[in-house]
Amino acid sequence: MSDVLTKPAPEAATPRTRKLPGPRVYVWLAGFVLLLVLPFYLERFWLQAGLFAMAAAIGAIGLNLLTGATGQLSMGHAFFLAVGAYGYCAFAGDGADGLTGLGLPTWLAAVLAVGLAGVAGGVFSPIAGRLRGAYLGIATLALIFIGQHVLFNAHDLTGGFNGRDVPPFSIFGLTFDDSELLVAAVPFGTAEKLWYLGLVLLLAGGLFARGVLRGRPGRAMNAIRDHQIAAGVMGVPVARYRAAVFVLSSMYAGLAGVLLALVFQRTVPEYFGMVLSLEYLAMIVIGGLGSVSGAVVGAVFVSLLPQILTRYSDSLPLVSEAGTGGVSPGEAAKYLYGAALVAVVLFLPGGLVRLAARRPKASSAQPSGTEGNDR
Amino acid sequence: MTTPRAHRSRRPHKATAAALAALLAIAGAAGCSSKAKDKDSGKAGAGGVKTDVGVTDKTIKLGVLTDMTGVYATLGKSVTQAQQLYVKQANAEGGICGRKLELVVRDHGYDPQKAVAGYSELEPDVLGFAQFIGSPFVAAVKQRITTDKALVLPQAWSASLLGSEYIRVLGSTYDIETINAIDFLMKEKGLKKGDKLGHVYFEGDYGENALAGSKYMAEQNGLTVVEQKIKPTDNDMTAQVAALKKAGVKAIVISAGPRQAASLVGVAAATGLTVPIIGNNSAYAPQLLGTQAAPALEKMYYISTPSLPIGDDAEGPSKLAADYAAAYPKDSLDNGVVAGWTAAETFGEALKRACEAKDLTREGVDKALLGIKDWNAGFGVHDFTDPSAPSSLESVIIKPDKAAKGGSSVVREAEISDAAKSFKR
Repeated sequence: MSDVLTKPAPEAATPRTRKLPGPRVYVWLAGFVLLLVLPFYLERFWLQAGLFAMAAAIGAIGLNLLTGATGQLSMGHAFFLAVGAYGYCAFAGDGADGLTGLGLPTWLAAVLAVGLAGVAGGVFSPIAGRLRGAYLGIATLALIFIGQHVLFNAHDLTGGFNGRDVPPFSIFGLTFDDSELLVAAVPFGTAEKLWYLGLVLLLAGGLFARGVLRGRPGRAMNAIRDHQIAAGVMGVPVARYRAAVFVLSSMYAGLAGVLLALVFQRTVPEYFGMVLSLEYLAMIVIGGLGSVSGAVVGAVFVSLLPQILTRYSDSLPLVSEAGTGGVSPGEAAKYLYGAALVAVVLFLPGGLVRLAARRPKASSAQPSGTEGNDR
Repeated sequence: MTTPRAHRSRRPHKATAAALAALLAIAGAAGCSSKAKDKDSGKAGAGGVKTDVGVTDKTIKLGVLTDMTGVYATLGKSVTQAQQLYVKQANAEGGICGRKLELVVRDHGYDPQKAVAGYSELEPDVLGFAQFIGSPFVAAVKQRITTDKALVLPQAWSASLLGSEYIRVLGSTYDIETINAIDFLMKEKGLKKGDKLGHVYFEGDYGENALAGSKYMAEQNGLTVVEQKIKPTDNDMTAQVAALKKAGVKAIVISAGPRQAASLVGVAAATGLTVPIIGNNSAYAPQLLGTQAAPALEKMYYISTPSLPIGDDAEGPSKLAADYAAAYPKDSLDNGVVAGWTAAETFGEALKRACEAKDLTREGVDKALLGIKDWNAGFGVHDFTDPSAPSSLESVIIKPDKAAKGGSSVVREAEISDAAKSFKR
């Protein structure tokens, strides 16, 4: 795993004297432009699926900083997602629905919600700084149970079992709600508008995490993961680093929570359970531990696959129509999803990013412009 | 990020050209997206009937958002199978409005993400939803349902769903059902003013809505409610029975699942707390009669339900029971079958009336349903004229009965208690 993070060193040393950017840059650019025009073509289902994937990617980047790069197991990620999602609702809500709401501008509410998730992580960090490995995993498990209890019972704040409405995000006079906005004759609703917000947030979050991982803090984090005592001897303030990473990871989760809430348009307590935490762990393991691209790839895989399988499940072979007896499409989709997870872990132990990393070696005879496009 | 960039400068022109060409193609095509707006609502189709979404000259597509792999898997399976049965029978008779019905089923497994995704996927293709399990999810897309105007018949009986023209609750809600249940306890089981009434309920939608009903009855009749909140994962009711026994309750209401009801009744009987116990319709399944709690259940347990049980001798239930058993011989008959059938039949009735009015658009169907009054689908009388009220205030009181088909028999026929009429939602 650590080779992923030692690679950048020679790259940074490459003299930046070339006049023309390489083909890789164009591939990235084309990919980015493609993402930019997707809302003009895709129907709401796909945009929504993409948005879920983007939110998951942001959350997974945070967890990968903590678990992948620093070696701290956290089962409490769903709790911090919930803090972000409900925090946003509470800061931005105007109290018209009878629930606690401060009525702040929504952009400020989003920032504060991320901050609140960070504070929640900070409150927990004395524990996170002392425990490690499986012990921290068990300790963070408690957060899930406390969180779910509060979500179901603090009616005035969370709306209880039925959740609460999420105020639509608005910034610079643009409101991200279903009020139709015609762009090139294409009606823009919530999903289309949020798509761009999601892209911006994901890009910013990804670049920031990349910066952290490639700089001094990243090396310190890897040192803590690989050998804590050695890291301490070399002068890394271990407890402080571990606590700080925990806070940072919580803030990423908080941001993911805000975006998720905006996509759902309503926060529902059921969602923020243990299964969600496990899904995030699955994302980083499947994508690749310790790197931003691993988190993004894993998040896209884990959040899109079940939706795609469910959507196309009735055209699978050996499946009978739901409600007519036999294996139902929903069951078949679950089996396939499970099988895919096992196959990835079994055959790609380094995660899906290994696919991209391995390919050039196998086909080095014919270099092509697309190699290393590790998306 | 992880690959060496040794090949960077090799053959850059070809790749560059390809990338640029791709960009141009994308940019050029942006002008002719299929999403671009061209509204053509209200076309007249076959037979001069106006249609918009989900209806062609040959088919009417209805969405089904069910749960066949999650916590409500048993209910979802029965409901969906009953609805498929309805569609099959309706199509065998030539369909509705000269068009065949078709169900598009998506199983969300009680996962909010999949439920919302399922709605987004099906909404542009279907006329309405004959089934939508999970009231939090219905609430999540409520705003969109209001703009989309598609008729949704949720398989949930929470009062929080009332008030929309497009989301119509079938049968009495949990609060009404509980009020009728306590009315039965007071009129026929000797519960009187000043008594203590135990209420064991699930945390969440269902339980808390039922509790609102028992609190209202307590206020009206001078009862004291002893609350015991439980989680769906609590299966052993020993602690709750001990607490209720200590409090000296004279009767117990349970708003939980069948397993909790069996445990509650069994433990209560074993510890000598022989008071009448009544449950909401979700707190009973005929499978319980195969457990050790069966004798106690038959002796002291009652269920309040919005519709006739499937084992009833009346024409509707007995025909459905026979047809369902013939179509799905391996599956047991439960109340989910009735609920699913009633929803499908209600939708069918609305479609028939919309067809008569030559308007099979979404708004046409909504309007047709609003005109249905005093309509009996074979399991109870429904009135859809008021969106802020459930379609029925009646409850039938049934009891577990090994000898009866479907495992239950009627104790008190469909009745609306006075308290249910005066209850303000």
